[in-house]
Amino acid sequence: MLTFLGLTALLIKIGLVVGISQGAVAYLIYVERKIAAYAQDRIGPNRCGREFGVPLGLIQPLADGAKMILKEDVIPKYVHKTTFILAPMIAIVTATIGFAVVPFGPVGAGAPRLGADWPVQFQIAPGVDIGIVYILAIGSLAVYAVVLAGWSSNNKYSFLGGLRSSAQLISYEIPMGLSILGIVLLARSLDLNTIIEWQDRHGWGIFWQPIGFLIFLVSAFAETNRLPFDLPESEQELVGGFHTEYSAMKFGMFFLGEYLHVITVSFLTVILFFGGWDLPFVLSADQTSWISAIFKVIVMMSKVSMMIVFIMWIRWTLPRFRYDTLMNLAWKSLLPLGLLNLTVTAVLAQMILGG
Amino acid sequence: MNINDYKDVILAGAVVIAGAIGAYLLLPHRHGLTKPTAARWIGAASGALSIALIMLFFTPPGAFLRTVFFYAFAILSLAGGGLTITSRDPVASALWFASVILATSGLFLLAGAQFLAAGTVIVYAGAIIVTFLFVIMLASKQGCAFYDRSARSPARATFTCFLLFFGLMYTLLIAKGDVSFGGLKTPFRGAITARDITPTTFGPPNKFGTAIHVFEKAIPRTSRLAPSQVVPAAGASASGIPPKHVAGLGGSLYADNLIAIEAVGVLLFVALVGAVAIAAPKPPVRSGASAGRATK
Repeated sequence: MLTFLGLTALLIKIGLVVGISQGAVAYLIYVERKIAAYAQDRIGPNRCGREFGVPLGLIQPLADGAKMILKEDVIPKYVHKTTFILAPMIAIVTATIGFAVVPFGPVGAGAPRLGADWPVQFQIAPGVDIGIVYILAIGSLAVYAVVLAGWSSNNKYSFLGGLRSSAQLISYEIPMGLSILGIVLLARSLDLNTIIEWQDRHGWGIFWQPIGFLIFLVSAFAETNRLPFDLPESEQELVGGFHTEYSAMKFGMFFLGEYLHVITVSFLTVILFFGGWDLPFVLSADQTSWISAIFKVIVMMSKVSMMIVFIMWIRWTLPRFRYDTLMNLAWKSLLPLGLLNLTVTAVLAQMILGG
Repeated sequence: MNINDYKDVILAGAVVIAGAIGAYLLLPHRHGLTKPTAARWIGAASGALSIALIMLFFTPPGAFLRTVFFYAFAILSLAGGGLTITSRDPVASALWFASVILATSGLFLLAGAQFLAAGTVIVYAGAIIVTFLFVIMLASKQGCAFYDRSARSPARATFTCFLLFFGLMYTLLIAKGDVSFGGLKTPFRGAITARDITPTTFGPPNKFGTAIHVFEKAIPRTSRLAPSQVVPAAGASASGIPPKHVAGLGGSLYADNLIAIEAVGVLLFVALVGAVAIAAPKPPVRSGASAGRATK
């Protein structure tokens, strides 16, 4: 039963995770601008905060945030008002609640303890047996934000952007689910922490499931609407896509939601294919001390940061897909490849690892 | 017969009548006209009364927070269901439908059926309703069409549905169902205990026995779940970690219900093949185009 103390600890944990992830988003935008600048042989934001002695423009994110909040919030007369306001809320809520089952460090038997019988779990909801299915379920709700934003704006560019995006998100959910099934079959669990512990014992998922990793990575880019799959908001054709009519913090919420998705997807990639907190020959699930726990969290966060930088780097490397090639990639390449990968994995797992 | 024996049935009747009045007044007009605002307010009040009364039949589960969430999800799913059928904007209807799905999966979560909850969200909210929205948005331009604003014979539909609903409630009250979670309790006679439940078999006995026995002969229940895999009562165990039960679900599906699973799989596969056959591009209709291609 949930005690009062447990409830307080849970609320603190939720506050920490939400606060840190939203703060991280602000600095991710800064990092993105810096990487974009280096990719284009510019310097990027470097002035903000120089008056206060802050180097490298490090308080640029605060200025960006203040700009978002203080700008005039325009709601055009011709929009469908309820859904117009609802859409950014859905975007940010679905992006935030996905973190409930993401482990940030050791969970379960490997968790460090406060005193004798109070394990500190580095996860909001530890031991959720369906972990990965929960994330897929939440991810499948994210499409509502885009569809409703596009439709309620009552504007052909927004509408076309919304339609494109919903087709894209629905299509790429299928190869994404298929690519995850391989590692789930091997680890014999849907729980993210169990998957990490399996990789700790048997080696990282990318060596067991290279094709699954490739399919997952491509689908993840499409699911987060990042380049080279950012067709919903392709500027040359659709002005701003589904968020053309949004301004001020409502636009900011879409922005925040997109970056939260990037963080979630990076966590998933690291957990499923790069061993989560695992570092071969150094860290294992048997270590339960506080030092090893903190080290595990640091390892995990560095891997996630590298993944995020990789995603931003790709943005400035590959040009955007055309719409029909995008759909062909999902349905004619990734889907058969995912099915093949799943079948081969199931047969090999049955024959080699035993029933 | 004592009047006290019928108090529950009378309460059920009140629920049904209030709900029927509310639903009828809230439903769109038969010819797509605007109903007076007063009628809509009375309808809303009547529907709310019906939902409040039906809450008396529910057994709240255990602790305070669980009870709060149970009532929140229950009220949201009932009210959302009502608004799904009574809104005049098809997009709003689809969104209320989505809220019903989310509330229902919340109830599944409270009952400890995590996989069912996530599956419901993925299949219904994530795929089916999004497809609905897709079609609605492509079909309806600004402003609702006549067929969106009108209801087809609302009086008969309301009468039939709420008659069926009353039949369901009456049967449940008579049959004295299981009240362990969210089951009906009788507000006046108190909760029903487990000893009231007697196992029954359906259908007349014949030389094959019941359908269950046929299945048992086909597939012996050798792989009955080990006790460790059986889902304990909903709620966390002592360590604060909920018990594992996806393995139990998979074991049950592929051991006890193997034939049903395979049958469903074959059915879905046939449907998939059929869908591909229907959607395949057809040869061009215009004779000129096809002839031109053929001659070249």
